[in-house]
Amino acid sequence: MEEKLRIYVESLFETAPKTMQIIELREEILQNTIDKYHDLLAEGKSEEAAFNIAVAGIGDARELIAALGRGRDFMRYTKEEIVQDNRRSGLLLAIAIMLYILSVLPVIILADTRYEEPLGVCIMLIMVAIATGIIVYRAKTRLRYDKQDETIVEDFKEWKHETNERKSLYKAIDAAVWAVTIALYFLISFSTGAWYVTWVIFLIATAITNIIKACFDLKK
Amino acid sequence: MTIASDLIRGHTDAIILAHLLRRDSYGYEINKSILSKSGGTYELNEATLYTAFKRLTDAGYITFYWGAEKIGARRKYYHITQQGREAYKRMQEEWQTTKQIIDNLLATED
Repeated sequence: MEEKLRIYVESLFETAPKTMQIIELREEILQNTIDKYHDLLAEGKSEEAAFNIAVAGIGDARELIAALGRGRDFMRYTKEEIVQDNRRSGLLLAIAIMLYILSVLPVIILADTRYEEPLGVCIMLIMVAIATGIIVYRAKTRLRYDKQDETIVEDFKEWKHETNERKSLYKAIDAAVWAVTIALYFLISFSTGAWYVTWVIFLIATAITNIIKACFDLKK
Repeated sequence: MTIASDLIRGHTDAIILAHLLRRDSYGYEINKSILSKSGGTYELNEATLYTAFKRLTDAGYITFYWGAEKIGARRKYYHITQQGREAYKRMQEEWQTTKQIIDNLLATED
């Protein structure tokens, strides 16, 4: 009969995630149910009746598992820390985007002066580099989502978080590459007048972004 | 007994702590003692009991260890901590105050 109780309790937890906490709860419930069953037998109940009463006392395991999940802190950080982190990360992103937009200015301003392209392009590339650096820095220093419990849900959340982080980094680099490409295309085209061949730059840029993408995929 | 049940359920934590003050114990034993002390009228349902254990453990009021039973599943024994003793004292005082207030509120003579 004890075996029957074990099978019953285990069946209640069949669909639950197999975490340490849940398995401990299962063992605890099982032992308590067995104790109750023996007490009921001692009171003179039949085996069948004792089993039914003991099992009825457990109630719905889903309720229990849900109760365990409730009240758990998913985030280790306080609300203020999160708000501050969001604000800081938003500010960094804004500065980076601003740098991207303004990066063409030196080229335009210096175009008609005696410095002409080389200096303008240099400044532009430096600005793009700084902006990209800021975005990478931002992605690296954001508050990390830490695993609180060894459940599939937590694993999935962490995986998703990491993927998102990687994606945003990749997008930033991709955007930077294309911005530089377009700038270079016009600069080279206008300065050399070789419009018939400069479009090759776009093919090169596509190749570069694909290589970067491959690097990201490999890292995974 | 529904009103009384709700009242008692509100004090689940204090009841468990009070039981553990006497000795280390496990779920079924605690529930059995609640049943016998309430004259067979009140029993915690399992969900309430295990969530209470979880809550008290998280709060640092109790710790647990596994018993050394030779046969069957092992028992999970709970043990009250110093923090738990203090919490119990606080809850006990709170209840005394509440009881006094309710007595006053329910009194029919001025």
